[in-house]
Amino acid sequence: MKVSESWLREWVNPEWDTNTLAEELSLAGLEVDGIEPVAPAFTHVVVAKVISVEKHPDADKLNVTQVDIGADEPVQIVCGAKNVVAGMKACCATVGAVLPGDFKIKKAKLRGVPSNGMLCGANELGLPDDGVDGLHVLPDDAPVGTDLREYLDLNDQVIDVDLTPNRADCLSIAGVARDVAAIGHVAFKQPFENVITDKSGDCPQVIDIADAHACPKYLGCIVEDYNTFAQTPIWMKQRLERAGVSPKNLTVDITNYVMLELGQPMHAFDADKLKGNIQVRMARPDEKLMTLEEKELSLTADTLVIADDNGPVALAGIMGGLDSAVSDTTSRLFFECAHFAPLNIIGKARQYGLHTDSSHRFERGVDAFLPEKALERALQLFSEIAGGRISNIVSATNELGLHQPKAIQLRPERIVKLLGVEIDDAEVEGIFERLHFSIEKNASGWALTAPTYRFDMEIEADLIEEVGRVFGYNNLPETEVQAPMRLPTLPESEQELYLVRKALVNRGFHEVITYSFVEEKLQQKMVPEIPHICLQNPISDDMKAMRTTLFPGLLQTISYNQKRQQSRIRIFESGLVFTRHNEQTQQTPMIGGAIVGDLNPANWSGENRPVDFYDLKGDVETLLAMSHVQDKVRFEACEFTIFHPGQSAALVLNGKTVGLMGQLHPGLVKSAGVSGKVYLFQMDLATIMETKVPAAQPISKFPEVQRDLAFVVDATLPVQALLDAINNVQSDILNVVEVFDIYQGEGIDEAQKSIALTLKIQHQDRTLQDEEVDQLVDQVILNAKERVKAELR
Amino acid sequence: MQEKLQAIVAQAKETIHSVSELVHLDEIRVQYLGKKGELTAMMKTLGQLSAEERPKAGQIINEAKQSVQTFLSEKKAELEESILAAKLAGETIDVSLPGRGLDTGGLHPVTRTLRRIETIFSKAGFDVATGPEIEDDWHNFEALNIPETHPARAMHDTFYFDESTVLRTHTSGVQIRTMEDQDAPMRVIAPGRVYRCDSDQTHTPMFHQVEGLIIEENASFAQLRTLIIEFLRQFFEDENLKVRFRPSYFPFTEPSAEVDIATNLFGDGRWIEVLGCGMVHPNVLKNVDVDSEKYTGLAFGLGVERLAMLRYGVTDLRQFFENDLRFLKQFK
Repeated sequence: MKVSESWLREWVNPEWDTNTLAEELSLAGLEVDGIEPVAPAFTHVVVAKVISVEKHPDADKLNVTQVDIGADEPVQIVCGAKNVVAGMKACCATVGAVLPGDFKIKKAKLRGVPSNGMLCGANELGLPDDGVDGLHVLPDDAPVGTDLREYLDLNDQVIDVDLTPNRADCLSIAGVARDVAAIGHVAFKQPFENVITDKSGDCPQVIDIADAHACPKYLGCIVEDYNTFAQTPIWMKQRLERAGVSPKNLTVDITNYVMLELGQPMHAFDADKLKGNIQVRMARPDEKLMTLEEKELSLTADTLVIADDNGPVALAGIMGGLDSAVSDTTSRLFFECAHFAPLNIIGKARQYGLHTDSSHRFERGVDAFLPEKALERALQLFSEIAGGRISNIVSATNELGLHQPKAIQLRPERIVKLLGVEIDDAEVEGIFERLHFSIEKNASGWALTAPTYRFDMEIEADLIEEVGRVFGYNNLPETEVQAPMRLPTLPESEQELYLVRKALVNRGFHEVITYSFVEEKLQQKMVPEIPHICLQNPISDDMKAMRTTLFPGLLQTISYNQKRQQSRIRIFESGLVFTRHNEQTQQTPMIGGAIVGDLNPANWSGENRPVDFYDLKGDVETLLAMSHVQDKVRFEACEFTIFHPGQSAALVLNGKTVGLMGQLHPGLVKSAGVSGKVYLFQMDLATIMETKVPAAQPISKFPEVQRDLAFVVDATLPVQALLDAINNVQSDILNVVEVFDIYQGEGIDEAQKSIALTLKIQHQDRTLQDEEVDQLVDQVILNAKERVKAELR
Repeated sequence: MQEKLQAIVAQAKETIHSVSELVHLDEIRVQYLGKKGELTAMMKTLGQLSAEERPKAGQIINEAKQSVQTFLSEKKAELEESILAAKLAGETIDVSLPGRGLDTGGLHPVTRTLRRIETIFSKAGFDVATGPEIEDDWHNFEALNIPETHPARAMHDTFYFDESTVLRTHTSGVQIRTMEDQDAPMRVIAPGRVYRCDSDQTHTPMFHQVEGLIIEENASFAQLRTLIIEFLRQFFEDENLKVRFRPSYFPFTEPSAEVDIATNLFGDGRWIEVLGCGMVHPNVLKNVDVDSEKYTGLAFGLGVERLAMLRYGVTDLRQFFENDLRFLKQFK
């Protein structure tokens, strides 16, 4: 809500400068977003009257004018504006004036003719655009010689107040003024008298309320025989403009003015265009409405409308229709001033793609007892400006539907408990007096009844907030939370995600955070194996599908950075992925990473090479080694759309896939927007979030025996298969089997490879006998032969 | 004989002095002290002397041998030392060259900030809880006193999957889950990703919050204020940080406040909002079966990116999710 400071100060005038006023508003819960002067700084510009206009002797486009600036003598000014005419009132920058942009007005000669000042257009003064190419025209009654800043109230500032939804009572100058009066201990004074305008004759317009819950109050009257040429006064236009409302015509301007002043939205119809009774009802099937903004709406049955015999003429509380709108030819008016229940308005404007000052207020709530006053205020303004004959007011009221505030009990001990401060009873009462509550003291405290505009008051806590708000949050004492000390439960087997992340960081990875929603098409292409879900209302098409893996975000990050000359990239992310299983959405914490480019940073030694599968596998194994699964996870070759079919592995733990890794399929490199060989992994975080609580074993005092063996196996046999075969030997003394060489080439059949192993053999309690070791080795060789057809080389 | 010996020793000394390689030194040793060496030969002449002269002469010859031996040892040590020095000099490397191996990466600034927040609160006895990001209407709205028709729903720009399933718009839902699962009293924070259907210079459709909740028999708004001020001063390591509380509105707290800090990030000491907080609304306590007459709750929700921006001088929110390595590397 944009509040003109000078307008506000007519209602309440604390001894605060603008900044203090803004600060106090913020601290009272009416947050000030900004303060804008209504016009830039300029000086010595006055209201002037153009006395005469003559052609410049030496310039076609210039005129020589004599201008009355309220001084003893008229001044001569050479003027190039097209709209300059004798008799007009204009803005004149006199000699010595400084205009916006530090433009100084001096005596000058234009094509030989002396010019002592400048007649100004709106843009030269930084005034709102008046749509005129030329001089800004002032009304005929503007007093010559008056300082323009004073005449147009240009020293005013617009304070932009960002109101929370509960403070609909402040959606008006009067409402803001009430709060300022309460917090500033200053008088609240309505700057106009409540006048009941003269009425004559019954209102011929019949009102027919079909839904008295949705519309518990409807007032209206006819105004006719008024001056149809009457214009909106300049002060009213200014106030509308400063509130961000464009002036339209006198009738509409007055309804808007009263809404800004008091908070009651109103509407005016061209009475001659209404057929039959006004009906307030729900829309019927297939009804349409052409709005003021010339947008045709197909109405749904849950929409409250104002209708006549021909159908809807307005969306209740939101916007009027075009056909019954007030126009230049209107000569009979029907003013509507109604109360609509918020529940019937909420969401409706948005449903039709509208947001109006009226809907904004009715959605949040309007004082149900305001329409009478607001209508009279509008009639008062209208008759002052345009005269006319006003009919009696026709009204329909459903008292039950009007929000009548109920007394709420406030207990002093609850103030202490909730706010943590003891406040004198007198101070509490003073606060509620200033807020215009009615106060009744009773045994347990007070029964407080809010004024009708504070319909946000429902429970005791609401009252306590008011106490705190006016007392000042920043005046509360410093006091620490009192809570018993408890020692935490700290399962040692629980891994800290931070340490997992740190492990990757220490291996050169940068952590990234990417959006949880990705482009659906790309995800479909990369990971068609996993069903996903989509947002109903995504920001854009490329943020529509919830990610099923971390891969799209990682690849996008690589693409982004490769386009910015980063060729060596190591990144990881941890976060949820969202997958569908049996009509259920699973949200699973994952950790994943990607590497591309050289293994090492560029370096002087020339020791470098592009990364490969085993580099990333080493990183993955680091994470596994930190957890209880350690060497229990097996890497099994697998096929997955996103990966190179020969360079991808599933991480399998007890038969369950807990992770994936591999080289990005060369066929997908282009659509991913990346270059080079990218290696990716992703792991179920739960797998590695449990660590082993160590159980120490005695260290054997007896010597370890090592035996090296080389086996020749089928070239396609995974090493793991051979290791499995060997580990199948039941033995207490075979401690470790290590692969130390893989060889293919000369001396070995092309279809075969050699795997060299070290067996580390040790007994816990004694020195081993040669025969025992030999026996074990024989068993190993036998197992290898029987299970995977491995031959000793 | 004395003279002869002196001559030999002088001769030896000079020869040894002029030697520059170890092998020559050995030749010299043989020349003087070997089986056929000059001094050895002198020893052999002792027999020709009388019994009285013999001991004296023996002593002199021995002394001469000793001298030569000393010259030899000294020279040897000297030569060995210079050989080692020369060898080491040849092994000199440029120690200013960078070391080998991987460089280290870094945590994302949001993670770094979250960690700082979590550490501060967990040291004060807060548990850390997490919750789902795809959330049901109950936990994201209804239980938090935001019914379907509430105008505050419009404040939330919610992403929907269907009518009753959303991407959580705040971490406040974890508040509900925690109170459903645990009995009062409690102290908990809930960090995590949240989503709003809004994207421009100052809004990203995803960001991070930390929700905090204390349920105690006498938790008060004054305590909340003290806690928040203390937190902000610890977080920014600025004991003079200016903090102000403004009354605000959240359906799930009453009283409610927004908290601003004075910052010089933009050079003008302006107030910047960093969090929202308040006393848990009695309706919320009722929704999770906590007796609101006995217990009071204080709750707060911090915007993590905002704190990170203010702490680290980041001026564009969107940088957090562009993941430009040149940006991320500044947070190593």
